[in-house]
Amino acid sequence: MRAFTGILSALILGAALWVGTFSLRGAPPIGPFLSPAHGVWALGQQGELRGEQSVQLAGLGAEAEVRYDDRGVPHIFAASELDAYRALGWVHARDRLFQMELAQRSVAGTLAELVGARALPRDREARRQGLARSADAKWAAIPADAGSRRGVEAYMEGLNAYIRGMRPADLPLEYRLLQKTPREFEPRDTYYLLAAMSLTLAWSDDELRRGAIESLIGKAAAAALFPVDAPIQEPIEPVPGRTAPRIADQRLPAPQLASAQAVREAERWLATRELVSAGMPRDAHGALLTRGEGVVGSNNWAVAPGRTEAGYALLSGDPHLELTLPSIWYEVHLVVPGEFDVYGVSLPLSPIVPIGFNRDVAWTATNTGADVMDFYRETVDDTTNPARYQVDGAWRDLTTRVEEFRDASGNVIAVDTLRTTHRGPLWSTPLGWLSMRWTALEISDEGEAFRAASRATTVDEWYAAMRDYKAPAQNFLVADRGGQIGIRSTGRYPLRPGDGRGDKVFDGSTSASDWTGDWPLDRVPRSVNPAQGFLASANQQPLDPAVRPGYLGWNWPPPWRAIRINTILRGDSAMTPEKMRLAHTDPHSALTPVLLGALREAAEGARGAGALSTTDGEALAVFDAWDQHFDTESRGAVLFETFLEAVTRRTWDELLLPGEDRRVGTPNSMVMARLLADPTSVWWDDRRTAELTEDRDDILMEALRDAWRETRARHGDDPAAWRWGAVRRANVRHLLQLPGLGREGLSVQSGPGTLAPADGGGTHGASWRFVVELGPELRAWGTYPGGQSGNPVSTRYADRIPQWQRGELSPLRVPRTAAELADSALAGTLTFRPE
Amino acid sequence: MRSIVLFVLAVAAMALGTWYIGWWTVPVVGALWAFIAATDRTLPLQAALAGVNAWGILLALRMPGGGVERVADSVGAMLSIGGAALIALTLLYPALLAASAATLVRALRGPNGGQGAQRSGAQRRGGSSSSRSGSSLT
Repeated sequence: MRAFTGILSALILGAALWVGTFSLRGAPPIGPFLSPAHGVWALGQQGELRGEQSVQLAGLGAEAEVRYDDRGVPHIFAASELDAYRALGWVHARDRLFQMELAQRSVAGTLAELVGARALPRDREARRQGLARSADAKWAAIPADAGSRRGVEAYMEGLNAYIRGMRPADLPLEYRLLQKTPREFEPRDTYYLLAAMSLTLAWSDDELRRGAIESLIGKAAAAALFPVDAPIQEPIEPVPGRTAPRIADQRLPAPQLASAQAVREAERWLATRELVSAGMPRDAHGALLTRGEGVVGSNNWAVAPGRTEAGYALLSGDPHLELTLPSIWYEVHLVVPGEFDVYGVSLPLSPIVPIGFNRDVAWTATNTGADVMDFYRETVDDTTNPARYQVDGAWRDLTTRVEEFRDASGNVIAVDTLRTTHRGPLWSTPLGWLSMRWTALEISDEGEAFRAASRATTVDEWYAAMRDYKAPAQNFLVADRGGQIGIRSTGRYPLRPGDGRGDKVFDGSTSASDWTGDWPLDRVPRSVNPAQGFLASANQQPLDPAVRPGYLGWNWPPPWRAIRINTILRGDSAMTPEKMRLAHTDPHSALTPVLLGALREAAEGARGAGALSTTDGEALAVFDAWDQHFDTESRGAVLFETFLEAVTRRTWDELLLPGEDRRVGTPNSMVMARLLADPTSVWWDDRRTAELTEDRDDILMEALRDAWRETRARHGDDPAAWRWGAVRRANVRHLLQLPGLGREGLSVQSGPGTLAPADGGGTHGASWRFVVELGPELRAWGTYPGGQSGNPVSTRYADRIPQWQRGELSPLRVPRTAAELADSALAGTLTFRPE
Repeated sequence: MRSIVLFVLAVAAMALGTWYIGWWTVPVVGALWAFIAATDRTLPLQAALAGVNAWGILLALRMPGGGVERVADSVGAMLSIGGAALIALTLLYPALLAASAATLVRALRGPNGGQGAQRSGAQRRGGSSSSRSGSSLT
């Protein structure tokens, strides 16, 4: 018995010690993980910094003070710019350390070293894209005495000081789960982060999809469905005297019938795009999104003093990005008396404030979405293992690099040979060898541009500071205390040979295909103090080609949001910050009346022909009772979205690959709106119903019946029980998609064509909403969907989400001095002392 | 009285050991305790209780500000076990470590505190097989 007891207890103890010490199926050892001393339980006290604390920080020139306000925002008061950045590095690290490592590794292509071999495909893609090498080159090109270089170095000193001073209890949850510890960062890592923003905002590979579409329906039809110039023009650069969108008179040319060979060609194009863009955003069905399909939705607008109630310029920012926890943004206020005083959202791993304001100027951005990437079919000396490529009849050597990939244990798990031409990275694809040129890979210093701009005191000074900003191209909207407002689509736009367009794959065997220069700064879309007294952008085509021709891109997102913003601003000459706030979640869509207007015409026709059934009438009654607002209680919005899906599905059958339920591309709703004006277009005919030839009204009525049937099946037979808020939801997921650490299924006021369009997956949306009034006393309001802390158990992890969900904003505290932050608004003080 | 003192000392040693040295001091203290008081039949149970108490006290120290509740909610949801189960696991784990270590040492030393072989022989000779003698030490 004793022996049995001994053996049993030894086994139990051994097992308990084993699971306490070693990882089981990737899970952390439970001994240190569960320990209430320094394990996961310690995280509960690592959230908000409270009371008074002090830290010794090497390199500081003088004492610096950080005052955390009651929203968890650090106000950093320092004697010099470099000290402010040192403090910011430390503060960022304390709240967002894991996020920073993930961001750096995703660009460097070393995620597998952190999370294991499952990240290998992503790492391979990242290294092929070449952003890390480009960031290294950008960093190396910055002069040693440049302000941006010294600023980033100081920032990293603070960041690494935090890492070196960490106690076991400070280790973020994600590191515990991955059984890793943070490594120190290098200054160039900031430029990795900026490269990641280019990947998010300026990856423009649509020509590869264009090839598939052209193969299937012909060049003319493809050009009409995915046009260079938007058929509904509401440009960013206002057209003097114009008070409504310009609508192009457009008839879509008939599609060609695809041969079997054309279908195979289309599939090769699609496979090429899958290979080149494997890790880019996808829709709910796993298909790669086209630019403009759900992943964009940013808005900004500014109003001149003459059209505001208080007589001060107003600016509103509403950049849309992927929704994650922790949030992409970190709110911060940096004050160096006599030098700068900037408030806004920063990107952890970087000392810059890309969106924000100082005492005199406020700025924000939407993505320009210009075509800044081209592909070239290269002629190589060996199709399996090339060493040279041909240009103008002469062979040039490829630059070759061997890249090793390691797993979390440090073992080499893959080796790739990467090649580049003088244009950029080279891929082996089903279309042959393709090289890529992309503005984001070329030398520039966006850090210096933002650093200088944060000190501007006027709109003109702000744009002058951003003169050398290259990528990602942004529609920067600026307002100043003097009452000026301005917008400029800032960035590098390549000039191309021939017709100047980039919506095709070029012949790489000739240097005549190469870029010939850039758009000069005085030609880029811009406007300062327009007569209309307001400016706005919402990712739409920046210039009306009828007024200012020039190729900047193609397949522009629909202008519904821009139309709505301009309608609001045009109709109100007494704007207030509160009205600006309300516009962020405005429930109107300029798309809805277009589609429902056509449906009513179709229904009248059906009624006249005696073809309107009782159920048709019931469905139409839902739309009749709907105010066309996409608010969370709406019933009509539920039916409308399904109707829009059904119209899209029934209309674009020509773009389906034969035998598949997959379209090679989907024209956006602006093209659909133009097609609605042509009721007998051949595009309305559904080729799948060979015995019938449908027109617009047939398709709309059938789509209504589909929608009625599908909506009742999904949401119940009683329309009174439908609720838009239960359908359209935001999903703010943890960066590692860890269950329980995200906030999912959030009802939000958004809809197709509204200012908060929200994609079907709910994974993208407003990442930071703010309003600034540039009066004698600066006033500002803002929020973002997350919280300041990256610690999932902190009270500051997701505390702003309910407010964001309601479309509310918090007043932002902008003290000039540390003493100005009232005790009642003070959560904690951190003092950095020189070592 | 001695048993209470030993219990309190064990709880303190486990708690302080966990805090300053590491989680594995829990089974070490359980084993040492069994080494000192191997004759106590209830020692494994006492060691388990000491483990629960030691980590329970440390958890309690983390409670101000709602830290424990938030960790339980977030990490429990992440692990799909719930907050209560995470707390229970955190308290049961040291209990298991301490109890199994104490049982093992007790089994190795014998129920009579390392004199088990002689005493067993004597008992066999005397015809007595009382194993409760250890209890009387407490």
